[in-house]
Amino acid sequence: MLDTILIGLSLGSILLLVALGLSIIYGSMGVINMAHGELVMIGAYSTVLAQIHMGLSLFAAIPLAFVVCFALGLLIEKFVVRRLYGRLFDTLLATWGVAILLQQAIRLEFGLSFFGIHIAGLGPGLQSVKVPDLLSEPIFIGEFLIQPYRAFIIIISILLAVITWLLMYKTRMGQQIRAIMRNKDMAAACGINVRKVNALTFAYGAGLAGVAGVMMSGFKTVMPDMGSSLVVDGFLVVVVGGVGSLVGTIVASGLLGQVNGIFAALSNDIIARAIVFGVVIAIIIWRPQGLLNYKGR
Amino acid sequence: MLKHDHLRIAAYAIFIVTVLSLPVFFDEFWLNRASKYLVYGMLGIAISLCWGYAGILNLGQGLFFGAGAYMLGMSLKLASPTSLQQGGAGPVPDFMLWNAEPGAVTDLCCINSGSYLWLPFQSQAFGFIMAIVLPVLLAFILGSVMFRKGVSGVFISIITLALVLLVRLLVVDAQALTGGFNGLTDLGGLTFGGYEFDPYSVATYYLAAVSLILILLGTRLLVNSRAGLVMQGIRDDENRAKYLGFDAAAYQTFFFCVSAAISGFAGLLYVVTSEFVSPTFMDLAFSISMVIWAAVGGRGSLLGACIGAIVINMLGATISESEVFVESWQAIVGLFFVLVVLFMPNGMAGVVHGWCRRLTTKSSKSEIGGQLQ
Amino acid sequence: MKFTNRISCKLKLGAFLGAVSLLTSGLTHAAKEIEVGVLFSQTGGLSIVEKSLASATLMAIEEINAKGGVNGMVIKPLVEDGASDPKTFNEKVSKLVIRDKVATIFGGYTSASRKAMLPVVEKRNSLLFYPTFYEGFECSKNVVYTGAAPNQQLNNYIPWLVKNLGKKKFFIVGSNYLYPKEMAKVAKTLIEENGAEWVGDEYLALGHSEWSSMVKKIKDSGADIVLSNVVGGSIISFYREYANQGISQKDIPIASTVTSEIEVAAMGGKFAAGSYTSFPYFQAVDTEANKAFIERYRAYTKDETAVTHHAMESAYSGVYLWAKAVSKADGIKPNEIMEATKGVSFDAASGTMTVSADNLHTSMTPRIVQWNEDARGTIVDEFSAPVIPLPYAAYGETAGNLFCSESGLDSSKL
Repeated sequence: MLDTILIGLSLGSILLLVALGLSIIYGSMGVINMAHGELVMIGAYSTVLAQIHMGLSLFAAIPLAFVVCFALGLLIEKFVVRRLYGRLFDTLLATWGVAILLQQAIRLEFGLSFFGIHIAGLGPGLQSVKVPDLLSEPIFIGEFLIQPYRAFIIIISILLAVITWLLMYKTRMGQQIRAIMRNKDMAAACGINVRKVNALTFAYGAGLAGVAGVMMSGFKTVMPDMGSSLVVDGFLVVVVGGVGSLVGTIVASGLLGQVNGIFAALSNDIIARAIVFGVVIAIIIWRPQGLLNYKGR
Repeated sequence: MLKHDHLRIAAYAIFIVTVLSLPVFFDEFWLNRASKYLVYGMLGIAISLCWGYAGILNLGQGLFFGAGAYMLGMSLKLASPTSLQQGGAGPVPDFMLWNAEPGAVTDLCCINSGSYLWLPFQSQAFGFIMAIVLPVLLAFILGSVMFRKGVSGVFISIITLALVLLVRLLVVDAQALTGGFNGLTDLGGLTFGGYEFDPYSVATYYLAAVSLILILLGTRLLVNSRAGLVMQGIRDDENRAKYLGFDAAAYQTFFFCVSAAISGFAGLLYVVTSEFVSPTFMDLAFSISMVIWAAVGGRGSLLGACIGAIVINMLGATISESEVFVESWQAIVGLFFVLVVLFMPNGMAGVVHGWCRRLTTKSSKSEIGGQLQ
Repeated sequence: MKFTNRISCKLKLGAFLGAVSLLTSGLTHAAKEIEVGVLFSQTGGLSIVEKSLASATLMAIEEINAKGGVNGMVIKPLVEDGASDPKTFNEKVSKLVIRDKVATIFGGYTSASRKAMLPVVEKRNSLLFYPTFYEGFECSKNVVYTGAAPNQQLNNYIPWLVKNLGKKKFFIVGSNYLYPKEMAKVAKTLIEENGAEWVGDEYLALGHSEWSSMVKKIKDSGADIVLSNVVGGSIISFYREYANQGISQKDIPIASTVTSEIEVAAMGGKFAAGSYTSFPYFQAVDTEANKAFIERYRAYTKDETAVTHHAMESAYSGVYLWAKAVSKADGIKPNEIMEATKGVSFDAASGTMTVSADNLHTSMTPRIVQWNEDARGTIVDEFSAPVIPLPYAAYGETAGNLFCSESGLDSSKL
């Protein structure tokens, strides 16, 4: 039983990792970023490339992937998202296009494969990342097994949640973000530079996706379309948790992780996933505002 | 204003004449391909009706399309020679034999625990009718629950998205009953009064073309009817419409169902033109693609969304078949989506409306739905 | 309105171009060309494997052309993209068959894509060369199968695992679709025949990459070997999770029917070391022919580390089998080529491959490999002679009692 709960916890922490960035972007800007999964993928590829070409370990890749995705986030915000504020569904469609572009960029090695240039680590193939020995050897406590890598993911996701909370509630920047969430026009009238804050929020969310990508790369297959299913899961978590609620996102990822883990143990993974979808639909119909909501929408 | 209407009628007329006259120019391959794209055009209309006119963005339209496709597909599967030659009294789909427990009775009633559900599909009329009834039924149940509960906006999109993924998962899992991931293949042909529709024939093309035209005109009348106007009122301001005494949920459910019926019928026709059914009809990417076709064509215009679907698919096929772009065509299509959403918020129809407005009086009001939150 | 006109223009143009290409293809036959379709996924999730199949096919065509083509005809490949989507496969195959009227199509990887191509290929009496190992249960007169049938992967495999490794309890795991389920069915019969038992039979959705619950189930099941029919990207996360949960390949080895050089190279030899795979071809096949083949492939793809694997070797050999058939065929109509394909053989890197006149499947030599730390395999077992393909092995087909013969499928035997 304890193992099942631990598996659920691990599943939940992975959901949280993906959902955190989405939650911030959606909550504060009203933007549905369908390219979030692809940003996770870029984070994973950053790890692969850093390992192949620079010999960097997984730990060192965490800040690197954050920076890469942060920068990419700034670009996406500047060229696409900025023009679509207030057009919720259009952000969804445009970022879906961006997602296709990002996937193809990796697959075609940024278009260089057209000229016969190959970059090791890119292309349509499968990639994987070495995990530091420290995190790869399972630890037995009596009969009980602890996977250090999964524990590491749980710790990192909690850490990121805490950092995000601190950013939102203890800094001037966070205050501004929350002001914009409440009322964008009022915030602008009070002298907040909405554009700049939004750009940074989006980039931060993208950066979180990058870190999530590093974590994924350690135990999942790294490939160009690894992100497409992640964004759906992340998005379900955000909506179930309640738009704009950090705590809601944490609770929802924990809940869905446990549901998934328990039903996977009782029956099988397919049924478990079906039940997760069912639970999500039921919760949205029952409480459209989400489990814990920050503001009505 | 009057002149503007004339232009619209002219646009519809040109479209209809073009669609009807294409077989003159086409060989059988292009006929078949064009009939598939006309089916996609129906999906564009369904999305436009639901999204542009009713304000409901369904990210799971593939559910209705797939439901329609599977219903007719089951009938055609039973009519296939591969199902008839299995030796038993009635037809049994070949995949059921592969998935049967050793020693199971090879009869449709009881080869596996759910196979009796297939029994009525021995009649093609039943499959044909169910291809519309099932999507409507699903839409009705889903719509009544959602709209009565006051679920709106993006939450509808999430529910429909989760639902289509859920159903896809179950269809793939129930391999013994549905053919699983491979879907239904080796289908027989659709027969009507002894005439069999060959997917590459002019008859099949006209089946698709006439259906599309009827759907286009029907929905056009619908949105101009009182119900259509009320629906647009609800879209623009739900609360005000409620205060005026309109049952918003009923109207929303109704439009949702009409959209589902069109999608189901499109699924049915797609099976006739492509001769297979696959759970990939319920892929998320396909459902989102449909929405993008409508967005590119113009979600606020039925004709625009329809043409958008046809043009994008035509474009994608043409680019992907040129040797230079065989690898990068998806990136080009992706870029195209981004640019259209950014710079043509009301799609191609919006641009054309702009031209028309400049041509006619400046006072005529655009009918584009526009900023839908 | 203007755009409606433009569209109709475009449509006319399309038809016009179609007519032109028809005309020119008629002309080019006079100029001694034979057109074939090459239809694999160049984009999308499956392009990982399918691109290598396309490369192998094109390489074989290029080699044959360099030697003067076949019967003096230059082979002209028309490459199309299936985009990892059955709908696209269906559309592109109808383009190749109906508009381009190609003599043959080389293509398809997943069963779903083959099933989407079949209606067009069969009703139009065209010819498809399908290079992938698959689940069997097909008896088409329009498809030549150059990949392994289930009996060519399992009939030697299961007995070997039971007798040589002394394994008694199998846990069968696979991706949730037809191939793994059919393989499980064949395997179960073989397991029981060999005096072992199976303790689990579980499936995960295609592309699923979260293995924690499943690996725990395997651990709790008391199995001493795992038979894996898992495909695609899921494979890598599976082997990784296996190691992460502290299971050693020494104690409970994974014996796979799908894990090839591609996946092993991607996951890193460390995770695969000690596990097994059964295929007729491995990069590790120790013959001069194979060494030369690998070298040519690497030169062709300009990739020093490119790996060769069973399906791509079958794709490559398929073109040679086809060329042999064309050279003795009465004409270049698909059914004439099909008739001539019966019984042709080719000395491939994997040994002699012969197309069965009965079921158009190919006989080949099953092998078992054990993977090493360096991501290379050691061949631990090899048949002395090619094995006859039995697509209906799961239903009791044997070499002496064929279900699918030249006269078609005898459904009374099912």
